[in-house]
Amino acid sequence: MKKKNVRMQQPGMDRRTFLTALGLGGVGFSALIAAVGNLLYLKPAVDYGPPSVIRAGRPGEYKEGIKEVMEDQRVVIVRDKKGFAAISITCTHLGCTVRTSDAGFECPCHGSQYDNDGYVTGGPAPRPLDWYQVSIAPNGELEIDKSVKVPPGTFFKA
Amino acid sequence: MNQPTDVAPPAQAPRNRITGFGRNIYRSLFRYGRVPQDAEGQSYAVFNNLFLHIHPVKVSRHSLRFSYTLGLGVIATALFLVLTFTGVWLMFYYFPSASEAYNRMLDLRSAVDFGFVLRNVHKWGAELMVLVVILHMARVFFTGAYKPPREFNWLVGILLLLLTLGLSFTGYLLPWDQLAFWAITVGTSIAGYAPVLGPPMRKFLLGGDVVGQEALVRFYVLHVVILPGLLSIFLAVHFWRIRKDGGLSHPNDNDPPSKGGGQ
Repeated sequence: MKKKNVRMQQPGMDRRTFLTALGLGGVGFSALIAAVGNLLYLKPAVDYGPPSVIRAGRPGEYKEGIKEVMEDQRVVIVRDKKGFAAISITCTHLGCTVRTSDAGFECPCHGSQYDNDGYVTGGPAPRPLDWYQVSIAPNGELEIDKSVKVPPGTFFKA
Repeated sequence: MNQPTDVAPPAQAPRNRITGFGRNIYRSLFRYGRVPQDAEGQSYAVFNNLFLHIHPVKVSRHSLRFSYTLGLGVIATALFLVLTFTGVWLMFYYFPSASEAYNRMLDLRSAVDFGFVLRNVHKWGAELMVLVVILHMARVFFTGAYKPPREFNWLVGILLLLLTLGLSFTGYLLPWDQLAFWAITVGTSIAGYAPVLGPPMRKFLLGGDVVGQEALVRFYVLHVVILPGLLSIFLAVHFWRIRKDGGLSHPNDNDPPSKGGGQ
């Protein structure tokens, strides 16, 4: 029997192409892993921001119908007949601080307007102001958790 | 020297007797004489010098006419250098701490000798650089310099514009005053509106949910290291492409210079 040229008859790629592909693939894969690692490194893992749970004094300090703005915490404490609510004063448009107005709230940056419950009545704001969960802390103070949002109109009975 | 050489000897020999080491150093600095008088020596001097070889030895008449380019690219480069030097100088006093940054900025303005000069040159230079880069882009557009074979350099130029805007944006936060705080609050909120990638991008930029200490550090690192580094690299590519694409855009070399501008 004649000897066949085995190399020429092999299907697929030859050794050089295979090794080149293997090498390039290895480099590409390493680069991908490195890129993912670097992105993960830059991803904020620890929240150094202000604490999300804040205290707002005793319920008795608030009269009915009051809107008490806590500028530094960017929240307004509302008390009416239904109870207490903590409404965010961060505009849902681009993050400016809204101020109280006769009709509710308005944003000085781009003119968004909200009613007393934080629903949008005008301007570019895409959604209502956030409502945060209100509860009573063990020491009897109002406690607001800014990481927990509640549907607008959810009042807390103290 | 015993070996024959095709390099022109120095136009004038040094007066004092320099030998050996000193002579070699002298000849390495002034290979074609201190001021070459002949065309060949001048050509050699130009394209063997890193700083001079940014221009080709032969330049189109159009490229030399000031009203063709208005020198906008050179002005933008000069502004970048000015901003780099003033920026590094500012770094000696400024540091990106939420409690200190604003005070350091005030100190630079009032207490540090010539601090107000450096700060103002940096600030106004930055504003000017954005303006000049955009005008440069307009010039390139109106003279058709984005057309082949220069379309790749146009893309590099777009990247440089984006990097310039990025530097402008990140630098805006550093004074840490009310204007800076709210501008970046609004700016990063706009970034957050981008579909899918928006919210994580905003989080990456701010290092949290609100503009705070983390955001200040991140913007600082971007402003003083990452963005200037990238800009320097692509600036080098930009200059290199100018040479490789045959210098500035111009009509056919053999054409007489056009009257009244336009092509």
